[in-house]
Amino acid sequence: MPGRVQRMTDLDERAVTRPAMRIIGTDVPRKEDDRLLRGAGQFVDDVNRAHVVEMAVGRCPYPHARIRSIDVQAARELDGVYDILTGADIAERSEPIGILRPVPGAPVITHYALAQDTATYEGQPVVSVAARTRHIAEDAVELIAIDYEPLPHISDVDAALAPGATVIQPDALEDNLLVCNPQGRGDVEARLAEADVVVEGRFVVNRVTGLPMETRGVLAEWQPGARMLTARVSTQSPQLVRKQLAECLRLDEGHVRVVASDVGGGFGLKLGAYPEDVLAGLHAMTLRRPVKYVEDRLEHFRATTHARESVHVYRIGARADGRIVGMTDAYVNDLGGLNSPFGSSQLSTVVFNGPYKVEDGFVERRIAVTNKTPIGAYRGYGQPEVNFAYERLMDTLARRLDLDPVELRAMNMVQPEDFPWVNPVGAIYDSGDYEACLRMAADAVDYQARRAAGRGPAPDGRYRGVGFSSYVERTGYASSKFLAARGSLFGAHESVTIRANRSGGIDLYSGVSSIGQGSETVFAQMLSEVVGISYDAITLHHGDTGNSPLNTGAFASRTVIAAAGALLEAGDRFLAKTLRIAARKLEVDPAQLELVGTVVRMRADHGVSVSLAEVFTGAILGQGMPDGESPGLDETAYFEPPEAAYSFGTAAATVSVDAETGEFTIEKLVMVHDCGTPLNPKLVEGQVRGGLTQGLGQALGEELRYDPESGQLVNGTMLDYFVPTAADLPPIELGHTEVASPVTTFGVRGAGEVGCIPVAAAVANAICDALAEFGVELDRLPITPELVWRALEAGRAG
Amino acid sequence: MTASAHVPLGTESAGVGEPNIVVTVVVNGTRVTETIPTRLSVTDFLRHRLGLTGTHVGCEQGVCGMCTVVLDGEAVKSCLMYAAQLDGHEVETVESLGDGDALSPLQQAFKSEHGLQCGFCTPAFLMTATALARGGEPLTREEIREELAGVLCRCTGYEFIVNAVERHLGARPGAADD
Repeated sequence: MPGRVQRMTDLDERAVTRPAMRIIGTDVPRKEDDRLLRGAGQFVDDVNRAHVVEMAVGRCPYPHARIRSIDVQAARELDGVYDILTGADIAERSEPIGILRPVPGAPVITHYALAQDTATYEGQPVVSVAARTRHIAEDAVELIAIDYEPLPHISDVDAALAPGATVIQPDALEDNLLVCNPQGRGDVEARLAEADVVVEGRFVVNRVTGLPMETRGVLAEWQPGARMLTARVSTQSPQLVRKQLAECLRLDEGHVRVVASDVGGGFGLKLGAYPEDVLAGLHAMTLRRPVKYVEDRLEHFRATTHARESVHVYRIGARADGRIVGMTDAYVNDLGGLNSPFGSSQLSTVVFNGPYKVEDGFVERRIAVTNKTPIGAYRGYGQPEVNFAYERLMDTLARRLDLDPVELRAMNMVQPEDFPWVNPVGAIYDSGDYEACLRMAADAVDYQARRAAGRGPAPDGRYRGVGFSSYVERTGYASSKFLAARGSLFGAHESVTIRANRSGGIDLYSGVSSIGQGSETVFAQMLSEVVGISYDAITLHHGDTGNSPLNTGAFASRTVIAAAGALLEAGDRFLAKTLRIAARKLEVDPAQLELVGTVVRMRADHGVSVSLAEVFTGAILGQGMPDGESPGLDETAYFEPPEAAYSFGTAAATVSVDAETGEFTIEKLVMVHDCGTPLNPKLVEGQVRGGLTQGLGQALGEELRYDPESGQLVNGTMLDYFVPTAADLPPIELGHTEVASPVTTFGVRGAGEVGCIPVAAAVANAICDALAEFGVELDRLPITPELVWRALEAGRAG
Repeated sequence: MTASAHVPLGTESAGVGEPNIVVTVVVNGTRVTETIPTRLSVTDFLRHRLGLTGTHVGCEQGVCGMCTVVLDGEAVKSCLMYAAQLDGHEVETVESLGDGDALSPLQQAFKSEHGLQCGFCTPAFLMTATALARGGEPLTREEIREELAGVLCRCTGYEFIVNAVERHLGARPGAADD
């Protein structure tokens, strides 16, 4: 199916028989493109309102400080300043921002939109000003005198958990350990004791940020009397933000509408309400004027959630033949100074064993509070982190046992006949052929030929290596029951409303916001598939809580998995009613009819037809309806997948390395993945390439560094934080397999996050392979020439 | 915190005793004369004075490239310039591309090659490519990558953007066939 391209308008001429797929699996042009290519997207700052007021936020410059006093007098006197909020105002007029995705067993630590008596990270909002212009608002922030008493700060998890450490959240915790979650199956310590070999490593994963090109923003409008707050927010989850804003601002949920028109990248950072959303709402309610806030990039580096920082201590025990008998991972996640609505990643535990079949396993997650920017979700949400640990260690194991790393992986992978397979922490792997992806990746880098050629040094003096990383990714959620047991304040479902219009088209309403993932396109493809209507006749209305059914949002590689079922159900009902109405008009039996393109026609005689415009108009007017049929043509459906689907694949990297300096080049990066049935292969490839590039950024350059002395973020600007440019990427080659998932509609698996997961381990393994004779083992990210050089020095020292 | 020096549409003065200046500039083929505060950046002038919101703001530091426009034929980062510097010059923004409902060949190349996802960086890549196409130099794929490196994208991984630009440059009248 890949490579087959159809134009939707051709459909009218084609015979259609379900379930053969016609539109699913093709590269239709995106619905989103025409507006975005003209610069006519509606990102938050592209929308303005008459009499708008602008907001600026004053932030704590210290990692940890008591706020002794705040004097706003001088700021109030500045011409053009309309409203100022401090922590005391916030405590009086709003409720704290809650947690949407609590960690099981952890006390719930909420936070107000402005720091109360203590700020726990650099960049935490302390005051906000609404003024005639942003300039004036920022000038006013400078005029506010805040007396801070700096407190001892903690900038890493080891210091946070050391005895006697300053307790950062003393109201909720006795120390800086938020929670410890052990989970496992079997007697893994006994298995490790019996094992022929046990390898262990301590892996340090860097703190990074997703860095969407559009920063966060909000435009809040308050309509007095109606008591209606409309907030345009750059968010991945308008319905979740709506609930949070209603709670924080003490409004009925019916009085809050959240709109996310175009969102300039999300990657997990734009989930849940941020303090500025609440502050803009409060200013708007006070001033009865629209209030706009657009985060600048320096604020973004400090005030929008960071991700990934963790330390994994991983052990694998195996028999001499390579068979794994036990795996354990004890890891610590850095939470930052408070618990953001999504908080610390949880999926390192869920897929801790990757694609490997092991009966006995144990994972322990600990989460530590530090004085850094709060951690939140980021593409992969724990899975890239743990992949780096177990895949690095698999290569160490291969070297220890003198086994080929590809064969070691293959012999331990869950095999097609094993599914469904339950891993040691209860994740139900649904289906797949993990080994097939591994073998394809090996072939794509000419693995056998490379092994035969040796590692070097080559005539150019460089050493060459190849590395692999295989992964499994949980995509979607394993039902609302699974989430409910963990205290989650969102569901596992998606929903759609589809409504006939008098032009003969369908309006499709979804609460999923458009963050670049192409859901407008793919939703229309699925609806076209189910109903038979022309793709061009479907109009998307997305991301607006004012017109969409309640839903969950665009995260966790889950929207398509859940929305597909809703579209199928709503579409089937819509089609059946359409055919009944058309049958009345054509005076035939509905079973004799089919909907194709823009008409309903007799299957046996295409000349007997009625246009959708006529059928839909009749339905909307209630005219010419069959007896007993209600007017209107409008279906809403909710769908929750029964289980999560697990995407899988293998990345392979080839490198050349200078063994004197540590300088290295990635010669080629290969990714073979499986996302089940690809709905739009081009979009899938775009998702995978985008994820790979973010993965490369994390692997090679990105790292948010804090100075241990001052506790300050030292590289929080675009000039100092290195994300890949178009000129930085190695040749990337993609391949895929298509194993339809048995647990999802159309057999889909999530595709949005996979690219991020395996890159770092594949590159690290390739470098370690090239430098095997020097005993190089890389155990931290990012991988820089300096890190490699240090590892060479350590290896040479023995 | 850097200032996003912008004034609400329709107001004449931004600040407190802030000096104003008159500029005359040709924007997308139309001559405009505006009285503006001296500290107004070109980006904010385009976005908030002229309502040309296709030019985006990403860092206000000249790194991310979201604000790229064509100034006298060259791609420049408009956040690094004051609007006052535009006097007597000519600016083109993404809004100049396309013809009514029809996409320009460059825009069509991006659409066909899936050269955009969230679309926030897209106007910047389009304007960079517009200047490249005008330069008329035949470029290798690697050179195209270098030329595009001044604009960041976090969604696409760049490959399809490079494809789109390569396709467009290759399709130029008189361009080399390679």
